[in-house]
Amino acid sequence: MNRKLLFVLALVLIFCSHSLSQTGTKQRRPLPYEFGRVVLNNYSEKADLSPVVFEHWIHRSKFTCRVCHVDIGFAMKAGQTGIKAADNERGYYCGACHNGKMIADGKPVFAACSNRRLSYGDQKQCDRCHSLGKKVASDFDFFAFSEPLPKERFGNGIDWEKSEAIGLIKPAAFLDGFSIPKHFLAAQKDFELNSKVEGMPDIIFSHKKHTVWNGCELCHPEIFMGVRKGNSRYTMVDISEGKSCGVCHVTVAFPLTDCQRCHTKSVQP
Amino acid sequence: MLKRGIALMLFMGLVAVIGGVYAIGEPASSETQTAPAQEAWQAEFDDICSRSQNAMTFSQQELADLIQRCDVLMPKIEKLDETRKKVYMGRLRMCRGLYAYVLESKENQKK
Amino acid sequence: MLTYSNRRRTRKNERGPFLLVLACGALFLASVASAQIYLPSQPTPLPSNYGKVILDKYSSTEPGGVVFDHWLHRSKFTCRLCHVDIGFAMRANATGIRAETNRLGFHCGACHDGKRSFEGQTIFASCSSAENNSQCARCHSLGKTNVRKYEYKAFTARLPKALYGVDWETAETKKFINPVDFMEGISVKKAPMQTRQDFAITTNLYWVHPVRFSHEKHTVWNGCELCHPEIFHTVAKNQEQHSMVANIVGHNCGACHGQVAFPLNKCSGCHPSGPTWM
Repeated sequence: MNRKLLFVLALVLIFCSHSLSQTGTKQRRPLPYEFGRVVLNNYSEKADLSPVVFEHWIHRSKFTCRVCHVDIGFAMKAGQTGIKAADNERGYYCGACHNGKMIADGKPVFAACSNRRLSYGDQKQCDRCHSLGKKVASDFDFFAFSEPLPKERFGNGIDWEKSEAIGLIKPAAFLDGFSIPKHFLAAQKDFELNSKVEGMPDIIFSHKKHTVWNGCELCHPEIFMGVRKGNSRYTMVDISEGKSCGVCHVTVAFPLTDCQRCHTKSVQP
Repeated sequence: MLKRGIALMLFMGLVAVIGGVYAIGEPASSETQTAPAQEAWQAEFDDICSRSQNAMTFSQQELADLIQRCDVLMPKIEKLDETRKKVYMGRLRMCRGLYAYVLESKENQKK
Repeated sequence: MLTYSNRRRTRKNERGPFLLVLACGALFLASVASAQIYLPSQPTPLPSNYGKVILDKYSSTEPGGVVFDHWLHRSKFTCRLCHVDIGFAMRANATGIRAETNRLGFHCGACHDGKRSFEGQTIFASCSSAENNSQCARCHSLGKTNVRKYEYKAFTARLPKALYGVDWETAETKKFINPVDFMEGISVKKAPMQTRQDFAITTNLYWVHPVRFSHEKHTVWNGCELCHPEIFHTVAKNQEQHSMVANIVGHNCGACHGQVAFPLNKCSGCHPSGPTWM
């Protein structure tokens, strides 16, 4: 009887697994102002605050990836850093800039997680970040921000590379108190990645540009462990699940739907 | 009656002081006293991890030395307060990981 | 000789396989019932209803669910324009369209903004914040009659037909329709990737021909990004196994074929007919 039950259960799984699986369907494309949004809720709801909504687009126009993800030390996945209000109050993580003293765009950057007891006025200040599900006025309007920038097809709809190349955005690569004055960066060479699929253009990997924005430690060894070129195989399935290139190029950098941004080398006839 | 009144006043005074401290925040006196000691580990951390940009240009011995220095620094960072421990352990992990990665690549190249 | 215990045992043995068959049959029916395509045994939907999408995530009470008819839009635009450039999901209510985002110029509001002109007419604004509510019913027409401008029969009168509805392939080859692939302000012009070649997809059943997959036609209508990587993770041929069960429940090929493109019961649409042993 037990064996039959197990057999029937196995059949249930086989028949229903297809409908349960989430792959193989087209999801909605995040709207340009939603792309790169990270929701953080390790502790917010426990503290009776809405979860934090972090928007990448405003921050990436001001700093390189390395400043936040290496110098300040944010993890690359929501909830992995474990940011607490106490950390912010002491001037780490969000508090590294959001301390009420740092000047950006001519104004002091508002302080995150002030350590005073909350009064009604303070609650509004908390809502600036703890804004999931709330309508909160922001100092920055995405449409006004993105309007002068060169456009791209996917993600935020902004060509970030070109915006930086023509000087419309100037991401800072150094943050006082966190970035260590470093020696000159030895330029890394771009290299080719074979797509190993007939007819699919090869990839010219822009190692140089990536090191300018990220430094070395952000990717090596945690994201890319294989050292010898050509030793590790990165399949599109892995990438779309958020591994290797997919750590950034699914949710923050230009998404995988933009095939031509990577697969640039023309196919040899 | 009088004794009870005095006792009650003292008790309420105590509650007010505790509440006041709680509201304002605890005095942060410990940090300034140990500032010179902190700077030592901070200076060491800055020195080790400032070289990560040039990791590819180092010899295997230099990389091994840097990894050794990271390992020596790690217990000192473990003793810090919760916030700084979290931040600097993460940063040291990335920095040490990079040197180990580059060292491995150089060893593989030799083979 | 059948003793009482023997008889019991026999009956139990007979019951077992029967129950198993019953369970398998029930499971199969359940998985088919959760599918959104129409198998031959079920009554086929009216051609005017094929490809109809009801959107009522936020509007079910007021002002009423939205009825989106694919036949009107796909005669004018490629799949890629809506599902890639504008970014609609391919399941009802999965996009999360709201009046606010429409007014901001996203989703329906990307075209339905009251300013854009197309085919000599100004496209009406969706979710206009004007007080006049008579326009709402043009889209929020679930359960209402005589509120829509275009009617299926009149609109598709000239188009070639198939059993399930309009034969869109033939309509395009014979130039009845010319779907637009680029909208100013929405699409970004890019150098096209080379169109992909057609290829064969093998099946596991010996009596079923391999599929003649028309990759080239699909890239003309969809581009690359509509299918890759969300619907089909890999571009390497025959690396992933796609079963008909998955198609029936709306994954992989079933994301379109069964809901909007020709349904899966048109086997010859993909599998050449005729015996495989000849």
